[in-house]
Formats: sequence, structure tokens, C-alpha cells
Amino acid sequence: MSVKGQSRRQGVIRLLLMGLPWSLRPAQAQRMNSGQLLSFEAMVQPLVKGAPLRAQDVRLHAPILAENGSLVPVQVQVNSPMTAQEHVTHVHLLSQRNPVTQMAVFELGPWNGRAEISTRVRLAGTQELVALARLSNGEFRYARMEIIVTESACVDAS
Amino acid sequence: MNTPRTDAGRRHFLKVSSSATAGLSLGFFVPERASAADVPQLNVWVEIEPNDTIVIRYARAEMGQGSMTSAPMIIAEELDADWKKVRVEYATAHDNLRTKRAYGDMAAVGSRTIRNSQAYLRQAGATARHMLVAAAAQQWGVPASECNASLSKVTHTASKRSLSYGQLATAAAKLQAPKEVALKDPKDWTLIGKPIARVDIPDIVVGKTKYGIDTQLPGMLHAAVAACPVFNGKVKTMDASKVENRRGIVKVLNLGEFVAVVADNWWRAKEALREVAIDWDVGEHGTLSSATIMAHFKAGMEQTELAVARNDGNAPEALGKAAKVVEADYFTPYLAHATMEPMVCTAWLQGDKLEVWSSSQNPEATLAVGAATAGVPQPNVKVYPVQLGGGLGRKSPQDFTRQAVMIAKAMAGKPVKMLWTREEEIQHGLYRPASLMRFKAGLDASGKLDALHIRVSAPSILATLLKLPLPKGVDGQAVASFNDHPYDIPHTLVDYAQRNTNVPVGFWRSVGHSQNPYGRECFIDELAQAAGKDPLAFRLEMLPNTEKSKRDRSILEAVTKAAGWGSKLPAGVFRGVAETEGYGSWTACVCEVSVNAKNEVKIHRVVIGIDPGYAVNPDNIVAQFQGSVVHGLTAIFWGENTLKEGRVEQSNFHDYRMMRLNEMPKVEVVIAPTGGFWGGVGEPAQAPLAPALVNAISAALGKRIRSLPLKNHGLSLARVQGPTA
Repeated sequence: MSVKGQSRRQGVIRLLLMGLPWSLRPAQAQRMNSGQLLSFEAMVQPLVKGAPLRAQDVRLHAPILAENGSLVPVQVQVNSPMTAQEHVTHVHLLSQRNPVTQMAVFELGPWNGRAEISTRVRLAGTQELVALARLSNGEFRYARMEIIVTESACVDAS
Repeated sequence: MNTPRTDAGRRHFLKVSSSATAGLSLGFFVPERASAADVPQLNVWVEIEPNDTIVIRYARAEMGQGSMTSAPMIIAEELDADWKKVRVEYATAHDNLRTKRAYGDMAAVGSRTIRNSQAYLRQAGATARHMLVAAAAQQWGVPASECNASLSKVTHTASKRSLSYGQLATAAAKLQAPKEVALKDPKDWTLIGKPIARVDIPDIVVGKTKYGIDTQLPGMLHAAVAACPVFNGKVKTMDASKVENRRGIVKVLNLGEFVAVVADNWWRAKEALREVAIDWDVGEHGTLSSATIMAHFKAGMEQTELAVARNDGNAPEALGKAAKVVEADYFTPYLAHATMEPMVCTAWLQGDKLEVWSSSQNPEATLAVGAATAGVPQPNVKVYPVQLGGGLGRKSPQDFTRQAVMIAKAMAGKPVKMLWTREEEIQHGLYRPASLMRFKAGLDASGKLDALHIRVSAPSILATLLKLPLPKGVDGQAVASFNDHPYDIPHTLVDYAQRNTNVPVGFWRSVGHSQNPYGRECFIDELAQAAGKDPLAFRLEMLPNTEKSKRDRSILEAVTKAAGWGSKLPAGVFRGVAETEGYGSWTACVCEVSVNAKNEVKIHRVVIGIDPGYAVNPDNIVAQFQGSVVHGLTAIFWGENTLKEGRVEQSNFHDYRMMRLNEMPKVEVVIAPTGGFWGGVGEPAQAPLAPALVNAISAALGKRIRSLPLKNHGLSLARVQGPTA
């Protein structure tokens, strides 16, 4: 989906990496949680690459508790004038535990008017989410939150 | 007294201590007391009153599985508490949310309560004990190492001084909690491993227990609901004019997916619901039947693209070279849970505050679903613990909580208790999936099993209910006990055709282990017969005493020894055996049966055993196993949900029969813990029962029974006690 839509508050969705390639995992007793919990640095640095990074101007809304990880609503708002000179170029949604760390990238520009996105993500268990915004001056802003995914499953694995 | 408290009366004001900021890890919380009179709390799990009463919190649901006793026992063990002075209280999901999950996972599912929480529960008990000892040592001015704790007392032997936990608690609560404390060596346990009476039973016996169905609130309304008889259908039109003006009827709601009648009492709501004219949009699934589902599964058997769950050696090639090939198809049906208490949830939405009393196996999921459905922030939701009248896996998904909150939202301001009828429960289950299993085995000239190919054609719970991506397309539950079979077979291929239908599937106590071991262990018996070997000897030959299979072997030996395998049986009596691993425990079963001319099966003996590593409360293990045999025999003899015109045909106990008291055989439980691990107990007993029983019946009949339930083979269960007809 690469529509340069001007519609409402939605950013342009360029990539939605939610078809998780779990096939790399060995067939074994399935756990609801999977993967290693990454450090914050390991989550963000592949994108930030040492550029200035601050925990401000980004608001991340999601439920603290999710019944299961299949559909978790997430909303991100970035405080930005969204002018040609000063705007948000990308919002990245990063997962601490999913097999694919970068769950989604939203490409934004001054045409959006507001830097707000909302979507639903799939989470492989309780973990931290990071909303990382890249600004037009090359700096980054972020917000992070923990989401608890309850495990309503009588699966064999512990 | 060990009476559990179910009310949420006391309020604790907690603040996160600096040691508890480590995100997802379990923190311990230092109480910020509202008043000096408040009871000292050593951590979120342990609170000690001045009269030496120790309050231990229990964070999961209790539905008869007994963890409400076993989990606190683990804390009490490390705390060196006098169990007689322990009172168990529920922790709540809203406190867990507020304290950044101080109580951890709250779901009572997957036979997981003990095995997943023992580490932090032991640490909590040990930490509290350490603080009490330190407080005593400080008071006496002696080294803590000279003090001992036992039975809720700290003693300084040298000076013959002692103080009770109640006397020490206030001082102890002011101390910094140690980060980590050494845990006891299992040989020093005094409580774990002892048969302890369940704390919830006295209240159950005198009728004091509040189950979800017992919730009563001032001005409460009652709701009866009907969802489309064809799964996933919707309400097309609804005409409630016939009942709207009836006495007691408050409102008839068309909520799209279902219709609810809200009344001043439940019977009026339920009776009125029968007369609401509902035209359902059944969608495209109105023709689904058991026959079309079977055809769908059979087509799965011929599918060329299959998910491979296990592939050792080269089974197809080895089968081609085998001296003897044995093949068989096994089938297990859909099963509703039929919990004694049907789905029930009371919800009360006042402004943006929601309160919920739900018979839920996962109170945190109840909170999440409640908030999302009501459209209120999660911190505004309170979920009060209630005892469950059975759960069996049906009450972990929150479809019913969602319904109740939808109704409460429509009736905002008033508390509403939604209760399903038995018919609704049986016809709107999250069914144990039906499964078609194909076995093909190759034996060499000496009768040794060389190759095994198992193909499963069945729906996926994980893909459809939880919408989880499946690793390599395999649902681990659909192939459970096949993908991890312990037998030393050079060539094993397990493949899986995911065949979903419109019938919603879910977790039915022991899940894949409720059906796959039946196929596996019956087929192994067929192979033993083909090889001309004793079924036990045939298995033991394939279970070398290695790390991988030593526990399969030891539980099989323990149970067959207790059952006197190989000893002479009376004429007409036959034995069957089976062994399995599941939920972190190893189980085995031997049944002795005879079948009379009327095809009545008389069960002479059921010897069933478990190696759970550590047996925390042996009395509860016995109870779980006895209960599992009741539940299991019900399913084995009668349990089946069939489909016609998209609808489940069964509706109540007249056609979805439960076992009766006078049909229940004696159950001999063998507990053979080998130590070193913590296995589950609530579910595993289902696994070896069906194959052991059916192997015995097949031996008695001289023909194999390859599908369940047994009623479809003309078999019934003989009465074993009470009046004879």
C-alpha cells in the first residue's frame, strides 16, 4: 500500500511488516511469548545511527493490558508544526520481542497537517513498544511503553 | 482458619520501590501505609497481622484445580509459616495493573500456576522470612545467622529467646527487602509434598463460597442471551413486541451478534427470550454438517502441501522398505466444555468506571476486554475475584465478558448479571477441535518399529482463536504428543493439514493431549500386536534409559508395577496401558475391563500415575486425577458435538451426557515424583486414560476401536455401584 493520500490524520503507510516470518523458529512446543527481549539501544540504533535522540514530543497510546497479542490498537502523536521546514518524516513502531523489530514505518510529510498515526499491531507477548519519530532535521524523538499481553491459552509449553 | 477472602474490602496503598522499576520483572512493593493501624506487609504476597495470622495472596483463578492452596503452600514453605495460621486472599487484576504487574501472570490456564510461578513465590516467601529473622536479630542484638525460623517464630537458641512473626512484622516491614535469598533444599521442605486440605473446601461445603453465578448487587438486572445458532451469524431482524410489555422485562437489546433480554430476574429474561422473534443472517455456513466437516478433514489427508512438525530420518523411504506396514485412521470429535456453571459475568458501568465480576480464568484478560468493550481507560476498571464453577479452558477466552459489558453499556448505570443457559453453553462453545489422525508404521523382520508417519488433519486453535502466526505452519497443539513422542524410532515424520471450519475451537482441558495420545498409544498397541509382543514390553524396548525418555520409562514402570501388569487376570478381564508426557509432567495409566454380552463395559481398575517432578500437594493431585477420570470417561463414552445445518445438534445433558455417580470406578492414583522440575497437574491425567481404557476394551472385544466416543460403537458403561436394574 503506497498511497500518497492526503486523507485525515493518517500517515502514508509504506511498510507493514506484520506477516511475521516465524518460520525461522524450530518446531517445538509453542510458547505465547517468543524471541529475546532487546535492549532499547538495540531497538533504536539501527535507525537512529547516532543522530540526536530525545524522549520528548512523542505520545504513544496503547492499552496497558491486551487480552492477546493478535490485535493491539496503537496510536502515536508527535508534536510538530508539520511545515515544509519542520516536520516529521517517519514514525517507526518498534517491538522489543517480535521476530521483526520494526513492525511498521509510516512516511509523513507536511501534507499530513498533523503527525498522528493509528494502527493495530500483533505482539509476540509482553514487551516494550517504542514509537520513534524522525524529524526533517535528521534528529529523532521517541516514546516508549510496556504492553502486557495476557496468555489465555492452555498451551502445553510453560 | 484458612478461609479464603473473596471480597476486595481492604485497600492497600502501595508505591513502587526503587528495586521494582525493572520494567517487566516482578517487583516487590513497599507499602505506604494509610494509617499506623494498617497491617504490616512484607511484600505483595505476604502480610502478617499482630495476632500472627499470615495473609498470603493468591493471584490466579480458582476453579477447582486447587492452586489456591498449592501456590500459597509454596510461599508458606519458604516463609516457615505455621500453615494453621495462614489465610489466603485473592489478589486482583486491577491491583496488578496499578502495581505494574506485581503479581505477574494471573491466568489459570495450561496447568501453569505452579510451574510458572513457583520461582517467584518461593523467593517471596524466603524474602519475607529473611526480613523477619533480620528484625529479630536486630532487636536482640545478635547475628541473624544465629537465629532460626520455624512455624511462624524466630528463635535465638543460644539465649533461648523467641518472637512470633506477629510480634516482628512491623519492624520487619521497615527493613529493606533483600534482592535475592537462598531457597531451601527440597530435602528440608516441611510443607511442600505433604497432603494439605484445600483452603476453599470448607466454604464450598457450607455454601458460603461466592461463585460468579452468585453475584448479587443492589438493583441488579439480569440478562439472558441468544447468539446466532450458526456460528458467526448476525441478527437480521428482531421483533420483541410480544414480550416488551411483560412484567419484569426491562429491555430487549439487539446487539448485532446476539440478542439480550434484560429483566428484573433471570427466569423472566430467559422465558421472554424464547418468544422474541429473531431472524438470523446465518451467512454462508448454514449447510455445514459433520459429514461435510469429515470430508474436509479427509481432503486434508490428501493435501500435498503440509506443515512438517517433525522429520527424523526418512520415514517415507523406510516405510517403502519395511517388512510389515500397519496403517490406521483415528478420529476424535468436537467437544463442548459443559462447565457446571455456564458462562456468567456481571458488569456495572457507571460513567467511565466499570466494575466486573466474571467467572474468568484470566482476570487480566477480563480487565482488558472490559475496558475495550466499555470504551473506558483500563485504570478505571475493577475486576473482582469470584470462584469459578468449573473452567476447563472455556473461561479463558473472554467472549462472554465482552457480551456482558456490551449489555452493561446499553443499560449504563445499572449492574447487569448475564448468565448463559446450558443450551447456549453447549451450542456456543469454543470446542475441542475434532481431529482426524492417520498413522502408518513400518516394522522390521524382528518386529521392531523402524518408521512412523503420523498425519493430522484438524483445525488450528492457535491460528483461529488467538490468530497467532504458526511456526512453519504447525499448530503445536494439533500435533502434541506426536511431534515430541519419546520413542526410539529411527524414522519419524509428523505432518499437519490445517483444516479450519466455521466451528469455533478452543482450549479444552489438556487440549491436544485430550485426543492425540489416544491415537498414538492405541496405534502403538496395534503395532505391539502386529509384532506379537506384550504392549508394555514393546513400549519399554523403545524407551531407553536416556535423558530423553527416562521419565516416560520410570512412570510407565511405576504405574504398571502398581497395577500388577503381567499378573493373571480373571477370565474375561483385559488390561490396557498407555503413557504420555504433557504440561511438564509424565503420566501413565493401566485399565482393567470386561465387556458383557450387552456391550456394557465394566471398569474393574483404573491405575493412573504422574511424575510431576515435585508433588506440591499430593492430596490435590489425587483429587485432580479422580476429577480427570470423571471428566475423561464422560468424553470417552459419550462426548461428541455434531453439526447439522451449521448448528450444533446437542443442547443439554439429555443429549450431551455426563457420567453418573453409579458408573464411576475406583481410581488408584500413583504419585511418583522424581524431583528436579515442576510439572503441571490439572490437565495431564486426561492424556493416558483414553488410550489405556480403549486398549483394554479392544483387547476384550478382539477388535480395534479407532474413534470416540464409545457410544457410537454400541458400547455403554456398566454401573459399578448402587441399585442394579
